[in-house]
Amino acid sequence: MNKHLALWLLALLPAFALAQTPPWYEIKGEFKEALEAKGDPARGKAAFTPCEGCHRADASGRASGAYPRISGQHARVLVKQITDIRGGKRSVSKMEPFIDDHVLTPFNIADIAAYLQTLPVPNTNAKGPGTLVARGKQLYERDCADCHGAKGEGDAASFYPMVAAQHYRYLLREVNFIRDGDRRNSNPDMVKVIKSYSGSDLEAVADYMAQFAPIPK
Amino acid sequence: MRDKVEQLQGAVSHLVSLLLAILLGLVVCSPASAEDPVTIATTVCVACHGPDGNSVIPMFPKIAGLQESYIVKQLRDFQTGRRKSDVMAPVVAALKPEDLAPLARYFNQQKMTPGEEVDKKTTSLGKLVFFDGNEETGVPACVGCHRPMGTGFQIYPRIGGQHSQYVAQQLKNFASGERNNDVSRFMRVVAKRMSEEEIQSVADYLVSLDSK
Repeated sequence: MNKHLALWLLALLPAFALAQTPPWYEIKGEFKEALEAKGDPARGKAAFTPCEGCHRADASGRASGAYPRISGQHARVLVKQITDIRGGKRSVSKMEPFIDDHVLTPFNIADIAAYLQTLPVPNTNAKGPGTLVARGKQLYERDCADCHGAKGEGDAASFYPMVAAQHYRYLLREVNFIRDGDRRNSNPDMVKVIKSYSGSDLEAVADYMAQFAPIPK
Repeated sequence: MRDKVEQLQGAVSHLVSLLLAILLGLVVCSPASAEDPVTIATTVCVACHGPDGNSVIPMFPKIAGLQESYIVKQLRDFQTGRRKSDVMAPVVAALKPEDLAPLARYFNQQKMTPGEEVDKKTTSLGKLVFFDGNEETGVPACVGCHRPMGTGFQIYPRIGGQHSQYVAQQLKNFASGERNNDVSRFMRVVAKRMSEEEIQSVADYLVSLDSK
């Protein structure tokens, strides 16, 4: 082999290695603006008004899972989800017109996220059938607890959502979407982890997560 | 027969608005500066909206108790054509900028009369839409913005007790885009997702709400 070519390849090897794992999100643009803004819960409460029609005044969402509970969720997670949805990284077609640029500025998003994080979370989320909790616990402790926490508390710094006190049907739909590539904006490591899950595995892990108690503030 | 009645209604509206425009012109062109809102309200607006803003003609909305900022916005939108109305356009053309806020304050201070009792069978769907929306089609619950009893809040107008014919017409106009002065396209998106049945049913349900 050509000595020069070999040397070039050797020199570029680290670059190839790094290129294997791009970050699963980039903090730039309005995502950055909203994260860096100092969200004000009082302003957020007023800005949240048009969201109440679906998510309810207490942000508890719907037992049917049509709309998630968003009260008590980490503000950083909410900022990521809202900016991902309106940036086209995650599809929630019913919601998109209500969060577009005409409705919310990045500062509104920061305020709303800050407000939602302060809201109380009663133990009223819709639970699953309860029959697969044991299997779900096995799977969760093996595959999910490292990121989402032993009690489903999530990890704000890493943008891993709190999954405790969420409606069963919403959890079930989202883990299905994540496994099948429909959600699109989750950590690729998570997709890898649950790629081999059967439908019943997904039901089990959702059944287990849905019975987590709300995380104390 | 229905067409003829509507044609007649249209012709009457045009005649009324012409007369109102003339009358308003006479009123506001009098020597006094910013016109007394009570004078304008009780000589001009009264013809369609009633003496205290509680219209008794279903196609003309009750404006009693509406939020001040909402009334000002609608009047300005009628003036600029941002909201189209053959009836209102000539009437508001004669209003001066300084007339709008006092008029809005006057009507806001009136009390919207409750509507009549309605048949619970036909409005049960309307009540569902008002409190829950439609999860399948993504219609938000009206209560989210318009509040329990349809009282309204800031830019979201009072709708409890409003004429059902007027509400249904506005929802249809939002759905078609013919009315497009809603902030952030919200009502256009919402109305477009509603079925005809939901529109009529929620309009009927709203009549019964005493929005205080």
